[in-house]
Amino acid sequence: MKNNIVILGGGQAGIYAAREIRQNDSKSNIKILGEENLLPYERPPLSKDFLLDKKKEEDLYFHSSDVLKNENIEFENISINKVDFENKKLFAKNDNVYSYDSLLISTGSENKKLSLDNNLKNDIYYLRNLEEAKKIKEIVSNKNKITIIGGGFIGLEIASSLSQLQKKVIVIEIGNQLMGRIIPKQIADLVQNTHIEHGNEIILNKQIEKITKKNGDYEILLNDNSLIETDFIIAGIGSTPTVKLFENTNLKLDNGIVTNQFCETSIKDVFAAGDVSNFYHPFYERNMRLESYQHAQNHGICAGKNIAGVKTEYTSIPWMWSDQFNLNLQLTGICDEYDEIIERGNDINNGVIYFFLKNNKIRGACGVGIIGKVGRDIRITSKLTEKDTIVDKQILSDQNLKLNKLIQK
Amino acid sequence: MSEENWIEVGATDSIEEEDLIRFDHQDKTFCVYKLTDGFYATDGICTHEAVHLEDGLVMDDEIECPMHQGIFNIKSGEALSPPACEDLKTYPVKVDNDKIFIKID
Repeated sequence: MKNNIVILGGGQAGIYAAREIRQNDSKSNIKILGEENLLPYERPPLSKDFLLDKKKEEDLYFHSSDVLKNENIEFENISINKVDFENKKLFAKNDNVYSYDSLLISTGSENKKLSLDNNLKNDIYYLRNLEEAKKIKEIVSNKNKITIIGGGFIGLEIASSLSQLQKKVIVIEIGNQLMGRIIPKQIADLVQNTHIEHGNEIILNKQIEKITKKNGDYEILLNDNSLIETDFIIAGIGSTPTVKLFENTNLKLDNGIVTNQFCETSIKDVFAAGDVSNFYHPFYERNMRLESYQHAQNHGICAGKNIAGVKTEYTSIPWMWSDQFNLNLQLTGICDEYDEIIERGNDINNGVIYFFLKNNKIRGACGVGIIGKVGRDIRITSKLTEKDTIVDKQILSDQNLKLNKLIQK
Repeated sequence: MSEENWIEVGATDSIEEEDLIRFDHQDKTFCVYKLTDGFYATDGICTHEAVHLEDGLVMDDEIECPMHQGIFNIKSGEALSPPACEDLKTYPVKVDNDKIFIKID
């Protein structure tokens, strides 16, 4: 049967879903509606290799327009401002109407903004898309003392890149550790030390009281009355799922669009994938919302299969990474449900991993090390987690013993 | 190709099965693998970002980059999973007198 399949959102989840649908369904029309006038591209390099000029815009695209053409996938740059789920229609700002038989929502997430006086709204920069990355790259070339508000992944990756561009960087974090939302403190402290060793200033436990513009520069007043002078401010204070379009509809929302393990929403023939979806994970037996490269891709693929009629559960064990200076940090599974922590290694040069266990089984792990040093073990850990078996803690804790001994058992 | 392009890597027992070793020659880095059906060789640096594949995970016929989990087929070099999209170069391997040789062009 030939269906009209519309994918709302032109990011990673959307493009991988589209290609997966096409693999299973040669007939249906597949149309991606994207708000950015760009084919889907990789976002991780924006805060790293793109700022450092090691990667150019053309290196970022997942697929060329030829790939989409060959697979008969349409991409349209359009902004949708109304959804009618009952009649299966999307309405664009320019009065275009799109009818669908199946809809995938992959609108992603958007940056939280600082609440500031109106006169400062255009002075604080955020980084999520290519346009913003280009602007930041251009402006920082003339700036020297840069303040990053928020000590999460994005802020720290930018701080690492700007330090490598010889800028003086200050990071202000409201919490008592860096990357506190998902990274264990032990690992965060190792990353913090590396930033400090490279000359970045890290300020924890401080809130911003006021930002004042002064002769083109800025003064940031903190809640301990200290004052920071800076000539450029970038904020990375978290994201929220992009769901505004659905707020007055029947679509069930709760920290994103609620989906089951098949990427199905509360409305028939409407699916959601990627950052925007608060999905049920059958292994962890709970809902979660993830913002990561691996998840966007795998969840998109899973949605694609289900849309094409190949009923598939999403069981991927979460995995994510961050690169800062010469460090590669990786996290697998979830690290907030445990009754025991096991440490493997204590030297960042050889990699340090913390395993989080519950009932003697691994639920998640987080590691950091010089690039290349934790990836293999974290990957094996994902497999061990998935196997859901009781593990030999001696092997986990001894870096001289290979973890793949556990997987072969 | 002339005979002198075969470069000795080391003894066949220097690699465990389903594992790899790194081999540096002149200014290049290679990975030499022992799979269930023999020895194979590829470039030693991931095509996605400059990281050594020696720290990667070998599973069946695949090598997975330790940095971002790009996956390559060891025998063909084909990039199988993003973020890697450029294939990995492969090299002929032969075993002579319990020694591994790779042919570098």
